[in-house]
Amino acid sequence: MPSDYDKDAYPEPPRQTPVVDKQTALPNPALIVSKLFYYSVDLPVTTFRGVIEGIQSGNKSVYYHQKFRRVPDLTGCQEGDYVCYYEAEMQWRRDYKVDQEIVKVIQERLRACQQREGPSYHQNCAKEMQQFTEVTKAYQARYGDLGAYASGRKCLMKQKERMMAAQAQQA
Amino acid sequence: MVGMSVLRSAAAFAARLSPLKSGNTAANLLTRTVPRTDKVAVRWGHGKQMFVIKPSDYYDRRFLRLLQYYVLLTGIPMAVIVTFVNVFVGEAELAEIPEGYEPEHWEYYKHPVTRWISRTFYDSPVKDYEKMMAAIQIEKEKGDMRLTQLEVRRQMRQKGDGPWFQVETLDKNLIDNSPKSTPDN
Repeated sequence: MPSDYDKDAYPEPPRQTPVVDKQTALPNPALIVSKLFYYSVDLPVTTFRGVIEGIQSGNKSVYYHQKFRRVPDLTGCQEGDYVCYYEAEMQWRRDYKVDQEIVKVIQERLRACQQREGPSYHQNCAKEMQQFTEVTKAYQARYGDLGAYASGRKCLMKQKERMMAAQAQQA
Repeated sequence: MVGMSVLRSAAAFAARLSPLKSGNTAANLLTRTVPRTDKVAVRWGHGKQMFVIKPSDYYDRRFLRLLQYYVLLTGIPMAVIVTFVNVFVGEAELAEIPEGYEPEHWEYYKHPVTRWISRTFYDSPVKDYEKMMAAIQIEKEKGDMRLTQLEVRRQMRQKGDGPWFQVETLDKNLIDNSPKSTPDN
């Protein structure tokens, strides 16, 4: 089975199963329905999975997560060194993808928190909310309106504008 | 004619009048029963049998039949292959890269079919990267050479001491200096 998710980021709510205190002789319909579901859906699916895993247990292969070396970015390249520009551009694109995935993970955490807490998510999800606002603000500042033809150069120019605006505001 | 009965002569006459109509042959005319249209065999099954007149759906059904055939011709083998791959050769599991080991470029994918495609048909992404950088390097060198050539042209044209932009002049031995060789001319 694939590894489980991060239990701290998506905490499970406390179990609310009531203590069984049967006072009638009538059968419990919820119990009947759950047993029915278990025998008709859960058990066949689990046994099927077990069978398939038994067949596949002989030839297991692995895959790895590719790690890229850091190369000097656009500011570290000589002017006219197009090979250096290309490597910097590729590194910037990889970092852009990573940042998009980070934003997606934070969004997913907020969504899970809201689903868990139900109507009281305004108070209980403050941490996730704050994380989300921080991350999205940073993403918007860095990659915000670059558009579909975004490139490392355009991002650098955006950073320059930000620094100029910050300096003008300070002065 | 005396020996023939009246009915037989009537049958022969009717057959001669409209010989092509079926039921008008001599044999039929005498022995056929008259159909009674008020006493139809109605059985309460699917209602009265109707002869529905509609345009031919042969071409439509033929098209759908052929479509089904050609789609399933490759569809079924593909489905069978994909099912067998998923059942017998499972997906890979994520693992840490061991020390000192450089994984092959197909070992970065999960599904066995993706791994096979990457192994059989595609170059490794490292190789593609290097190919792109080689192309960029070649173009850069071409550009630099063109710029230097322009600069060299400019210099040689200006200074005139280089091998280019030399104009052929007349041989100095051919010049006749006699008009100016003595001061009194």
